[in-house]
Amino acid sequence: MNCELKKSGQSALNIPHSRLRNLYLPHLATIKTAVQETVDTWTFELEFQDPAVRDSFSFQPGQFGLISAFGAGECTLTLASSSFRQRSVDITFRKIGRVTGALASLNQGDTVGFRGPYGNRFPMELFKGKNLLFISGGIGLPAVTSVLYDCLEQRGDYGAITILYGARSTRDLVYQRQIAEWERRSDVNMVKTVDPWGVTEGWDGMVGLLPAVLEKINPSPENAYVIMCGPPIMIKFALQSLEKLGFTSEQIYLTLENKMKCGLGKCGRCNIGDLYICKEGPVYSAAQTRRMYPDF
Amino acid sequence: MKLLTRQNLDRWVEAMLAEKVRVVGPVARAGQPVYAPVDRASALDFSQVIGRNSIKDVLFPQTEPVMLYTIKKTGVEMKDVGSAEQWPETVILGSRACDAAGIAALRSVFVWQGEDDPLFLERYERTTVVTLACARGDRSCFCTSVGLAPDATEGSDLLLRETVAGNFAVEPVTDKGKRLVARWASHFKEGSESLRPVVPPPVIEKSDVEKILAWLSDPSHYQDAVWVEHAAKCLGCGACTYVCPTCHCFDLTDEGSAFEGERRKNWDACQFDHFAAHASGHNPRSLQSQRWRNRFMCKFHFYPTKFSAKGCVGCGRCIRVCYVGLDIAEMMEKVTALGTSAKL
Repeated sequence: MNCELKKSGQSALNIPHSRLRNLYLPHLATIKTAVQETVDTWTFELEFQDPAVRDSFSFQPGQFGLISAFGAGECTLTLASSSFRQRSVDITFRKIGRVTGALASLNQGDTVGFRGPYGNRFPMELFKGKNLLFISGGIGLPAVTSVLYDCLEQRGDYGAITILYGARSTRDLVYQRQIAEWERRSDVNMVKTVDPWGVTEGWDGMVGLLPAVLEKINPSPENAYVIMCGPPIMIKFALQSLEKLGFTSEQIYLTLENKMKCGLGKCGRCNIGDLYICKEGPVYSAAQTRRMYPDF
Repeated sequence: MKLLTRQNLDRWVEAMLAEKVRVVGPVARAGQPVYAPVDRASALDFSQVIGRNSIKDVLFPQTEPVMLYTIKKTGVEMKDVGSAEQWPETVILGSRACDAAGIAALRSVFVWQGEDDPLFLERYERTTVVTLACARGDRSCFCTSVGLAPDATEGSDLLLRETVAGNFAVEPVTDKGKRLVARWASHFKEGSESLRPVVPPPVIEKSDVEKILAWLSDPSHYQDAVWVEHAAKCLGCGACTYVCPTCHCFDLTDEGSAFEGERRKNWDACQFDHFAAHASGHNPRSLQSQRWRNRFMCKFHFYPTKFSAKGCVGCGRCIRVCYVGLDIAEMMEKVTALGTSAKL
């Protein structure tokens, strides 16, 4: 096809042709492992099929990819593994729409498409030497785990690490194996909570809505940063609680999600006012989100 | 001055067609002016003010494949797109200044932050825009209110002006335009004729794009009652976005069987209720007034500040096409008035 273009290029208007890379063409990746987290949530470990991509791929904590289930389309998912891990990446998704529904029907060994990594990153350099408080709700946990894994990878570079994770019910908690591991670690303070109506027998965590639990555990804003992701309503009230606790909005980093199609700042739907989340986000400080158009 | 006589224009078009150049220009279809590829020079009709569709269709088609896939037991195979048929060498003949400016605006989106959209740019590289300055406008035209003019050159490669004698004075704007003239030099003659006077459309007197931008730049005006009030009758049909030369939003969707298909880039519209809706059901712009606000802000705030381009080129199509009579010019006046009283 390239030759054909060149040939026609010489003919009439003599326009020099340089073939551009097709930004919309995904990399193919194999589902290396598939773990069912909850009744409707899965984690896939993806390994790129092209050896060159496999060897060269890297990303920064906070970046996302567009994952295709061929025949259904693409969806935006934050890369949920450590950025230190080579050759493969993890994604976690809840079966909620057309594409995630199709992804959920795939098995180990099946092929998906991957575009990315896209978006900005968490400012890891700011977090060095600070106490870090991870706050996440529901399916928001996978959006901050790349930061967490990176911190644990270089544990000595960071201060105290607290993870506050809440879900609607005990059945909606993702990453239960990882949570158990974090609970075992002496250098991590793992706090898990479920909504009062979501408690089941044998639950050993806290009970209550996340913002209330946040105030109860009363973290110090001293020398600290907050890394947060969750549903809009949780974010809203968690921000209020953090303010009560004395955190400034410069100390809070959020990863925002909006519907995206291209991930490249062209398809026009992920904007919050004049900001395209896909290119200028998804990571913002709460100070930045306060200056945004109220378009959440 | 280079001149293109009316007869030579026809001969030039035939010569280009003979060399397999796609020529797109204004044609009459069922009594309506539209921009479409022509197969003969006589099909071109320059008598109308403006086409119903925008010439963005040429560079950014309503639907096109971005890749092809086959799902097999052993995995997935993909095929890239791109062929001489998909990206033919094209001359747009008889664009209007507003439409050409729209192409410049679209380009600013499709190259934004170094993410070069191949589908737009491959066509853009192969397309030469020949604009015909308007001798008249209609009552929906307002290019002069957004900093353009009937003979503006933004986005054009070559500008033609009608002469009193019915010929065209030729003004190259870019190297691409110069190359086009040089390639078919025999059709362009040196000469000088007096130009037909250009009658620009009236300026919307109470509108000022600078004041609009300043008012929109204040997030506290985001919840202003004017949005709900003005957009109350909007039906959310999206017609304004489809005819708009600068509306760039699209969807990427897989179309095909369980075994093979295409991923296609299709026009989408921020006016549709599902446009920004999350899979969870949460919709950041759940009301039509919020979606209308998004479009207006895109034109007068996002485009100028983000892409350093004109979001509205004053072609007036969104006014002509709206069947509830929602008039963007009225809103420009309203917001200008708000901007004036707010003393920004």
